[in-house]
Amino acid sequence: MNINKSNPLLLHPLNKWMKKKKWFWFPHQIETFQHVRSGSDVVVFAPTGAGKTLTGFINPIDDLIKLKKFKGLHTLYISPLKSLANDIMRNLEKPIKELDLNISFQVRTGDTTPYKKQKQKQKPPNILITTPESLALLNSYENAKEFFYNLKYIIIDEIHTFLDNKRADLLSLNIERLQTFSPNLQRIGLSATLKNKQDAKKWLCRKKPKIVSYENSVLPKIKILESKERIPWSGHMATYSINEIYKEIMQSKLTIIFVNTRAQAEYMFKNLWLINKKKLKIAVHHGSLETNLRLKVENNLSKGLVDCVVATSSLELGLDYGDVEKIIQVGAPKGINRLLQRVGRSNHNLNTPSKAILVPTNRFEFIEAKAAIEEIKKNNLDKIDLKEGSFDVVAQHIFATACAGQFEINDLYKEIIKAYPYKKLKLNDFKQLINLIQDGGYVLKNYDQFKRIFQLRENKNIYKLVNRRETRKYRMNVGTIIENPMLKIKLGTKTLGNIEEVFIQNLSQGDSFIFAGQILEFQSMKNNLVQVKRSKSLISKIPSYSGGRMPLSTNLANSVRALLAKSNMWDLYPEQITEWLKRQKNISKIPKKDEYLVEQFPRKKNFYTVIYTFAGWHANQTLGFLLLRGFKEFNYKPLGFVANDYAIVLWSLKEVKQIKTILNLGLLDKHLDNYLEETSIVKRLFRDNAIISCLIERRLPGMEKTGKQVLFSSDLIYTVLKKNEPDHILLKSSYEDAKKNMIDYDRLREILKKIDKKIILKKLTSISPLAVPIILEINRENLSKKEIDEYILEDLENEILKEANVLSIN
Amino acid sequence: MYYQLINFGNEEFHAYPDKSLYWKRLNTLIVSDLHIGKSISYAKNKQFLPPYDTKEILSKIFVSLDKIKPSNLIIVGDLLHDVFSTLSLKDQDHKNLSQYMKNTDFIWIKGNHDKNIQIEGFKNFTNYKIDKLLFTHIPIETSLFQICGHYHPKVKISHRGKTIFKTCFIHNEKIFILPSFGILTGGLDIHNKQISDVLGKNNLSIYPVGQDKVYKL
Repeated sequence: MNINKSNPLLLHPLNKWMKKKKWFWFPHQIETFQHVRSGSDVVVFAPTGAGKTLTGFINPIDDLIKLKKFKGLHTLYISPLKSLANDIMRNLEKPIKELDLNISFQVRTGDTTPYKKQKQKQKPPNILITTPESLALLNSYENAKEFFYNLKYIIIDEIHTFLDNKRADLLSLNIERLQTFSPNLQRIGLSATLKNKQDAKKWLCRKKPKIVSYENSVLPKIKILESKERIPWSGHMATYSINEIYKEIMQSKLTIIFVNTRAQAEYMFKNLWLINKKKLKIAVHHGSLETNLRLKVENNLSKGLVDCVVATSSLELGLDYGDVEKIIQVGAPKGINRLLQRVGRSNHNLNTPSKAILVPTNRFEFIEAKAAIEEIKKNNLDKIDLKEGSFDVVAQHIFATACAGQFEINDLYKEIIKAYPYKKLKLNDFKQLINLIQDGGYVLKNYDQFKRIFQLRENKNIYKLVNRRETRKYRMNVGTIIENPMLKIKLGTKTLGNIEEVFIQNLSQGDSFIFAGQILEFQSMKNNLVQVKRSKSLISKIPSYSGGRMPLSTNLANSVRALLAKSNMWDLYPEQITEWLKRQKNISKIPKKDEYLVEQFPRKKNFYTVIYTFAGWHANQTLGFLLLRGFKEFNYKPLGFVANDYAIVLWSLKEVKQIKTILNLGLLDKHLDNYLEETSIVKRLFRDNAIISCLIERRLPGMEKTGKQVLFSSDLIYTVLKKNEPDHILLKSSYEDAKKNMIDYDRLREILKKIDKKIILKKLTSISPLAVPIILEINRENLSKKEIDEYILEDLENEILKEANVLSIN
Repeated sequence: MYYQLINFGNEEFHAYPDKSLYWKRLNTLIVSDLHIGKSISYAKNKQFLPPYDTKEILSKIFVSLDKIKPSNLIIVGDLLHDVFSTLSLKDQDHKNLSQYMKNTDFIWIKGNHDKNIQIEGFKNFTNYKIDKLLFTHIPIETSLFQICGHYHPKVKISHRGKTIFKTCFIHNEKIFILPSFGILTGGLDIHNKQISDVLGKNNLSIYPVGQDKVYKL
């Protein structure tokens, strides 16, 4: 790296330490230092290994040394993960200890003991490393203003993970609060490389906004696993290539295998274990494992004590595992940014390329993997779409504000709309959210005598908490991450981790399942603990975890389309893929980059319509439901549909003759409301909204409420509210959330806007090669929850009647 | 409305999907655990449930009364959620109730939630005996057949890889438990100790309540 003669960092207190380590300052560190010193808010974009963490601390440390014995909190460091916070702490400790600098620094997360938290409040360190949730809590204390009034810097680490979700909303509101407490506060964001850097800047920066960017010139080496086996038509488990994956692990020192779901992680781990003749040390790591087990794996990984770890996104962020030589991505990459983040886990060193192998689990994924590699060569990253902030988070913030002391609503409103996600928050919606916190915000004013916050008689614009007891309820509900109802798994007295309650409900005593890489037998469930013992059973279930299914990014989807259409490339693919595409071309058609292929053919008495949208799973799922309604309207007697990232297939009793008339923007406008009402999407989001907005409690003080109970009562509330007060702010909020997240509304709209002119309709006599993968996926039920309930009851009753030889009882 | 025929205590009953039970021979409608005013009593603890439960429960019961026109309405306990619940009964509700009382005899058996509460014009009892049947909120020691409430029974049904929970009517040879007629009332798994202590584990007849139909398992 070049050393700048006029480098101002040569005078920095850390320079001595850098010299001792034989490290040099990066240009982006110098640039950041200068911008921040001249009063700018800055977002720094740099790849891992480019000293990002240090970059954030350069100005604070310089400042603290100059100020000499600064009393109180000077710098706040926000990390997206608790584990990362501890890691940062250790990294910061090294130079400060070795140089014997007079700077105090501590971590504060959900894991910090109450005693230590109390101490921190009385005597804050100069630098506090924390999470968005802990920051929100700090801001809800009565002395928050005194605690933060002298704050000089806030550093947001991995800011790219905070741009498009409710956690981002919560963080943005709390940053604005800090700015109110300490108007001179400067903001520093640290981010992985992004396509839309300007958006990150808009989100964070207020004062003389600046972007500092450092691009890595060494491209990662990524290839697709060359398999002698046939890549299957469909499926997600990569069983076909397990021996070849094993060979790859043997050939490198340390490998991380990334998969897309927890179920895949358990499955891959089990399959590797079955063929582990060389007794390699293989571990599994995912978000449901008990913290201690997870930490143990992480520890072994950083010390190089394992040969391979099978992991989900749980190992994607931050932490530096120097010796990882190779990354294997099993399954579709889904997005460029995500793949890069994962690939970047190997060779945490800027000058040597990261090495990665992609293992497609089916044929479409092969094309997707190929496309991803092309895009990475072109450095064409995915865009992160900033979203408008959610209402429920504002409600929680209002409650937090009331906990900290009385507040004036106009002041609060003005502060909130400074936060980027809430720029467009309407005063009227804000007032409804105030009412929501006050007494539920119902039109029927029944709860006058039971308010949570009330208006002062002398000034109606000032609200105050009714009594201090309520602060405890806020603290129980803080945060925006709502897990599905989970139960703890106990092997003897040892906790293995958490498992979804729904999965356990489907087990009977004696059933075995795989968790934490072990085959376990379900014994009993008591007091929300699932007791298990080790099992030698060969047949075992794998718990599935709902949510977390990432749709194919628009960017990568476009690239997949472009690649498919490039027939001159096909000969470079494995023979079976080439064959597959050629046959498709002969029998039907390969759509061009901007075309939408629709195939129709009869099969087993039904009529099939396949639409290749490449719109990602969420949007395709929505489109499937809408088309189902459209087909009904035209009396084609549709029976069902299945969607994946690439396509949708619908089957009906009658031939669908007017697909072009149905498939357009009108479909969305006409049926979306019905769709949202019929499926449980909004209902499920309502539960999150009710908890985040503190309408219902996550846990009641003194008694652990199980997830089941929360789910149950929020469903009842939803039904009653929907019937009696359809305009209630929380219903509006849930509906907006659905549009933003679950149904990919904007993406679908974009496609439908232009689709009618670009449909290529192919009437076939039988199934096409391209349609085979999705047709094979037809086995899931596509009925609404209500229908499923009735179906199960009906079916069970009939079976019992048959058994009893009774035809009918009514 | 479709009903499910249930034989209990040598009598025939009709179970309706609105969670009411009808005893045709004596033209008597039976409901349990309405928990009127649950929302308002939760609001006292700053849990702001939608304040529409009372309105909905009453209209549900009025629909049923209009349709069946029973001579008697037996409420097997927990008509009200607690002392605060009476706040949610408006003047109009009282007027409507007394209108219905002209043609139907209201028999209010006290439950654990409403044992110390009075409503003007309502007769109340700790339990009520008709022939060999005893109506009581919580079962007692007796040789009579008992019809009770209190437990809000729900049954877990696992079938073809799916599991659902459904509110249900349930009885053994001697004891019959009604589901809750309320709107914001939760339920208790019939395998929970509280229920199995009362009904035992064998020879149970279970009737899950579906959308428009009561099923039989």
